[in-house]
Formats: sequence, structure tokens, C-alpha cells
Amino acid sequence: MRQSSIKRWFFQNVGFASALALLTVIYLSYNMLHPRGFSSAVAIQNTNEAAAIAFVAMAQTLPVLLGGLDLSVGAVMTLTNCIASVLVNGSPGQIALGIFLTLASGTAFGFMNGCIVVFGRIQPIIATLATGAIAIGLALLVRPKPGGDVDGDLGWALTNSVRDFADTYGIADGGDAWWLRPFADIPVPFLLVVFVTVLVWVPFRRSVTGRTVYAIGSAEGAAFMSGLPIARAKIAAFTLGGFFAACGGLYLAIQTSSGNADLQQAGAYTLNSIAAVVLGGTSLLGGVGSAVGSLVGAMILRVISFYFRILDIDPLLQPLIEGVVLLVAVSFGAIRTLRVKNKLDLFR
Amino acid sequence: MKALLRCTTALAGLALSAQIALAGPETVSGPGVNPECFKPWSAETKFFKWEAKKAPFRIAVVNGFVGNTWRIQMIKTAKAYAEDPAVKDKIAEFKVVSTGTDAPAQLGAIEDFINQGFDAIVTIAVSPDGFDRVIRLADKNNVVIVPFDNVLDTDKVMQVNEDQLAMGRMWAQFVIDELKAKGVTSGKILEVRGLPGNSVDRDRSIGINEVLAANGGPWDIVQVVGNWDDGTTQKVVADAIAVHGQFEAVVGQGGSNGVIQALKDAGHPWVPVAGESENGYRKAVAQYSADGLKGISIGQSPGLVAVAMKAAISAMEGNVMPQLISVPLPVATYKDLKDGQNYWSDLPDNFFTVNEFPPCGVNISGPAIMSQSEADVK
Repeated sequence: MRQSSIKRWFFQNVGFASALALLTVIYLSYNMLHPRGFSSAVAIQNTNEAAAIAFVAMAQTLPVLLGGLDLSVGAVMTLTNCIASVLVNGSPGQIALGIFLTLASGTAFGFMNGCIVVFGRIQPIIATLATGAIAIGLALLVRPKPGGDVDGDLGWALTNSVRDFADTYGIADGGDAWWLRPFADIPVPFLLVVFVTVLVWVPFRRSVTGRTVYAIGSAEGAAFMSGLPIARAKIAAFTLGGFFAACGGLYLAIQTSSGNADLQQAGAYTLNSIAAVVLGGTSLLGGVGSAVGSLVGAMILRVISFYFRILDIDPLLQPLIEGVVLLVAVSFGAIRTLRVKNKLDLFR
Repeated sequence: MKALLRCTTALAGLALSAQIALAGPETVSGPGVNPECFKPWSAETKFFKWEAKKAPFRIAVVNGFVGNTWRIQMIKTAKAYAEDPAVKDKIAEFKVVSTGTDAPAQLGAIEDFINQGFDAIVTIAVSPDGFDRVIRLADKNNVVIVPFDNVLDTDKVMQVNEDQLAMGRMWAQFVIDELKAKGVTSGKILEVRGLPGNSVDRDRSIGINEVLAANGGPWDIVQVVGNWDDGTTQKVVADAIAVHGQFEAVVGQGGSNGVIQALKDAGHPWVPVAGESENGYRKAVAQYSADGLKGISIGQSPGLVAVAMKAAISAMEGNVMPQLISVPLPVATYKDLKDGQNYWSDLPDNFFTVNEFPPCGVNISGPAIMSQSEADVK
């Protein structure tokens, strides 16, 4: 019984399972090759680098599950990054307020995206192309030149291990309390991503609204005929996407202690988020996949580039190799086409 | 409230102790070592001294964006310089990575090299801000970080650059002088700008406009944005000529091949032009200077990477180094151009002619690096 349920899970999540296996393999070998592999310092560096793209990939997952694409995720991340660079400093109360306002502005932007898609009846890809440009425009307005002054201690505490976090704020005996020991070496950004996933994504996934998102992606007509709340689910999906993108922007601001309305970086994050979503086993046709898969996909994207730092590869060949590895990795998700019984299955 | 207060006090205390615990360079008084090569930016420039380490060193170059000729030439120069006999014995391991325009990736790469135990990291920053954390880590681990070209808005690291403000001023001054010699003291001047929002573009433009405003006139300055790219520049210059008819001079920050091509295509008479150091631009200036294309060419040299590497090595050896190093501007006007020496008529247009810095012992020339295979350079 137990075994069959595992087997069933595997066959229902081939994309995710193969992505997880791939990540495990490449991450373990990366650590074996690294002179300081399996150490807390390496894990901290890796999670720091992956946190922003992980959040943005989660943001992209929701519109993709609906069967659309959100071209504004990178721009919303940039916008919230700039907002955070202005607001997240001062007294602890002001910092908390700044964090709240940053997340709220991203969420509101996502809500606006959702409303445009639902009530304007515009394709998500076109609607978000336009709103993405608006977000960049606003970001440039907030921060015409790169800069800002995010609270330094917050930045140090959230980009290090749990011990450093406790040490910075003088809690749990500066991080030496016995009950903190087992967690002391865990990187804080990793915990942040896990918290957001567990507290936001998992409840959403289990709610009627969340399941409706999947239903819309699978067959919108059928979902409508079943009386599911389609408009609500679409707006909720984009709103949540905006929230995740804001988490990415906030983290970026904390990590760099500044904001930068960088158009090229926004574009790169949008494209990488789509790549991460696909790598994580979410179907671009909608209805299949999860934000957890996108987290794995984002990590794979990052780990591929980690290799260039430990192996001796010609710098001018690196983009080519990255592209080839990415293509191979994405092809894993297409393996199911080899074992379809009926050609019509391919259209699913 | 009480808890909050206690928390903030603890925090402040911690911040203080963290300040004391930081290692990194010691601020000392000058003069620095080898001042012909490592020229301090100004009289106020601080001097740094790191604890001396024993050679050989492990050095990494963390580039951001890759994909234009300048960056490729820079990477090739870095690799060739690492093989140069003067420094080869001092380098145990040399790595180059490009992270794209992605700040976390660049910060991550720098942190990874610190973790791997590298001694120095040379970088072109993707953003002038946001490096506080890696600077803190580098100081803690006694690693020398040297940003060059696109530098940081901080005085906590040693940086290498050319004076962009002076470059802008020199361009404008040259054009003013050439126009004066022609008897022109007012009219339209076309200014071609670079990538918007970039500090290099900002400083160059300030320098140009400062000199134009101070000299004669009134000059009617028309600004277009060419992104330092030949194709974009050619298009915007052609558009400007179509709209405004004729210009007395063109001051372009980059994409100079595009400026020349647009002037040629439009049948615009040759006028004084200020530009970068692309080979094609210098070829055109040499060819048409008698017809009125009086040109000046000043380059942001891809060879800066070699100066930055040399500075990093010198710092690790424990020498006193200026915090901000000013590399002399490589200037050539139409009077100084010599085929085979500072431009090459038999080679392609699209590489940067200025690459070497003899006072620093950087003797890798543009054509050597771009038109021969790397095997020949070694």
C-alpha cells in the first residue's frame, strides 16, 4: 500500500522528481569539488545567491499554472527592491513598517495585474508586458540612481547563518544557547524561503481558490462549468505572484543594502524565472506543477553557474556551456513524450 | 518597550564591536609604491596597506555583462596578462567568470571565491552599490577586492579607473579648439551619450557640457543616446542629422564607428569629431583628416583589467597603495595617428586600439590580443 502510493506520487510528478534528483546530484558533486564543500559558509553563499531568483520563480509559477506567463515578475521585484531601499531603515518599528509596505506594494501590483487580466480580458502575457514597463518606470521614479541605505544589521543578520542572526540581535545567548545548536549553521535565507513556502504557498495550494488555479490551467471551460470561482482564483494567483516577487525584491534590497532600477536585471530575472519554472516540472500549458518545483528549478539554474567557479572553463565558452546544460536539463521534463501510449496525450 | 531598548543597546554594542573586529587594509599615509603606474586620484586620496602575503597568489576576475567587444577584449587581456612573465610566477591560480547583469550572482561569485580561499578578486561591478556585505567578508578574510571600470561608490576598497570627467573635458576642449581654428564659434554640436543611468556616462557628459558652456558659443547642444554601441549610435546620429541638418562638430562617448558611418551615409561634410578608441574610428580619422575630419580618440582601455590585477598583486605583497588609482588617459589626435602603431589599417574596425600601459609594464597591444590566437600571445 505504502509503496504504491510513493510510486503513484512519482508517476504523477515525474518532472518534479527528476528535477529534485538532478539538483541533488549536481549539488552534491559541486560540494565535493569545492575546497570548502559541505561547510556552512558555502551553504550561506549559495542560498544568498539563489534566494531572490527562488522567490521570483515562485511568483512566476502561479500565472504559469493558469496557462499564462507573467512578464512583470522581474520588474515587480525591481520596483519593490527600490521601495525597500527607501523604506527599510531607521528604528525597529520603522523597519517593520518598511518591510510591510514593501510587501504590500508588490501584492497590490499583483492584484492590479490580476484585475487587468480578469476584467480587462487581456492575455496575461500582453497585460504584464505593459504593467512590467510601468513597474520599471515607477522604480526609476523611486530611485533614479542606484543607492539607498537598508539597515546594515538587518542585512548582515538575514544573509548569514542562524548563529550570526542570533548574535547580531543578541538573542539566545548570542547564538550559543543549547536549543539553538542544532539549527545554528542553517543559512537564514534558506529558512526565509521555507517559511514563505510553508506559510503562504502550502495553505493556498490546499484552498479551493488554489485548486481552482490548477483546474483553470487544466481546462478552463470545465472549471467554469463546475462552478469554480474562476475570476477570484485568477486575481488571487496574480496577487500572490506579486507578493512572492515582492519577497524577492525585499530580499535583494536586504542583501545589497541598496536599490537599483536596473532594466536589464529585471529582464534577466523574468526570463530566468520562466526557465526555473519549467526546470521545476511545471508545464507551460498550465495545470501541472508547483511552486516548490520552481524552487528546485531556480536552485538548478544557480548551481549550473556555480560550477564555472570551481572548474577551469574558458570564460568565453561559459554562456554556451550553460545553455547546453540548461537544454539537457529541460529535456528531462520532456522524457514523458517517449512513453506516451497515444499521440493525443502529447496535447495535454 | 524595555525589551526593545535592551535589544537596541545590545545591537549598538554589537555594531561597535563588529567595527573593531574587522580586519582588512590599514589606512596609512602616502606616498604609495610605483606612482607612475599607481597614480593617486587626487591629493585627498587615502592610502591602504594590507598585511603582506607570500606569493604565489590565487586571483579571480568576476565580470558582469559579457557580449560586447570591449568586454571580450578585456577578458582576453586578463588571461594574457596572467601569463606575462612579470607576474606569471606570482599567480598560482587564475579564474575568470562572467555573471551577467545580475547583482546577486556577481556578489555570490565574489563570496564563493572568498570561500574558496582566493587572495584577490578583480571585478567590474554591475551596480555602484550593494557590495557592503562582500567587502565586509573580504576584509574579514584578508582578501583584496579591486573594482575597475564601473567602480563602486565607496572608499572602503581599492579601485582602478580612468578619470571620466577629465575625458569628457578633453573631448570638448579639443572640439572647441578645432572649431576655433576653423573660425567657428557658435552653432550646433551633437553629443552622443552612453548607457543611461551609468556613472561613466554621467561623468563624461558633465565634463563635456562643462567645457562647452565655459567656451564661446552660444552652442546649441543636441543630445542623443547611443548606448556606446555602434549600431545604436549610427541610427541615432543618422536621425539627428535628418532632423537638424548640419552639425559643426560631434562629441561621441562611444560607438564611434557608428558616428563615422552615419556622417558618411548622410553625406554630411567632415567636421571635428571626438570619440572613443575603436580601430575603425581611428582608421577613418587618419584617412579623412585632410578633408576636415579632425578627430580626437580617447579610450577607456580594456587593459585596465591588467592594471587592476597588478594593483591587487602589489597590495598583497604589502605595498602602500592609493585607495583610488587614476590610470592616465590614452589620448591620440589626428596629428599623432600612425598606422601599425596606434591604429591598424589592415585589421578589422571593431576592436579597441588602446590596451597597453607601458608605465605599468602592461604591454599587450590591441591587435595582439584580438587578431591573433591566444596561443601567440603566450
